[in-house]
Amino acid sequence: MPPAGGFDAIKYKRNLPFRGPSGLVILGGVTAVCAYGFYRLGQGNLEKRELQREKTWSRIHLVPLLLAEADRDAYRRQQAALEREKEIMKDVPGWEAGKSVYSNPRYRPEQSIVLL
Amino acid sequence: MSAYKDPSTSSKPYRDPTPLPESVPKVQELGTTSAPLKSAAFFIGAYCKDYNDDFMLCKSEDRDPGHCLKEGRRVTRCAQDLITKMRENCLADFDKHWNCLERNNHQYNLCRKVERPLNKCMFEKLGLVKTIPGTPEGQKPIHEVEKPIFTGVQK
Repeated sequence: MPPAGGFDAIKYKRNLPFRGPSGLVILGGVTAVCAYGFYRLGQGNLEKRELQREKTWSRIHLVPLLLAEADRDAYRRQQAALEREKEIMKDVPGWEAGKSVYSNPRYRPEQSIVLL
Repeated sequence: MSAYKDPSTSSKPYRDPTPLPESVPKVQELGTTSAPLKSAAFFIGAYCKDYNDDFMLCKSEDRDPGHCLKEGRRVTRCAQDLITKMRENCLADFDKHWNCLERNNHQYNLCRKVERPLNKCMFEKLGLVKTIPGTPEGQKPIHEVEKPIFTGVQK
């Protein structure tokens, strides 16, 4: 016979306590963090481009100055070499010191350089 | 800054002690090392624009080192003049900035804190503004951005 007042209700429902945010929230959060990260990356790339531009222009502004100084030294060495050549070849008739081996008067830099 | 090292007195081989021919007027070389030059680069670009453009046009005519000596002397004198003026007017800021560049691998973005007073001083005393050509329209030039992304590791 059943007890007075009937049997207890059968516990068939799952008992799952709340364990943190739902999957949708986590997914949304990860998406948000990633989106912010990619945004920063994009901003950083744009900024990097500007930094590169700044660096390049700082060098462009210095080119004439450095080139002028290097040119003076190159000219000095060139003239000295010419004088030496004149001195060495003074006994050779018909020798033109410093004459280019090409028939084109265009300036050509040294074909070989010494690396120190 | 360091003194100018005359290549004709170099201790390396292939030196050539012959001085420039007498026909070429003498000009004192700048003798500034890379960090002060980098610090002053934009001001040199602004202050000596005409001479620099003239020199580069001359170089595009003919690459012969002997062709543009006159224009080259003007460029050097102008830079000399600017560095002197900079040292007279903004010595403390200038020194701080180039020392910072020296310590930070010559990167401008790591030295903004000391660059701003220098730019301000150069504008107030000499009227020279640092402008970076080619900055996109309506965008703040990178040296004036308040909160950049690329800063030093340590604040």
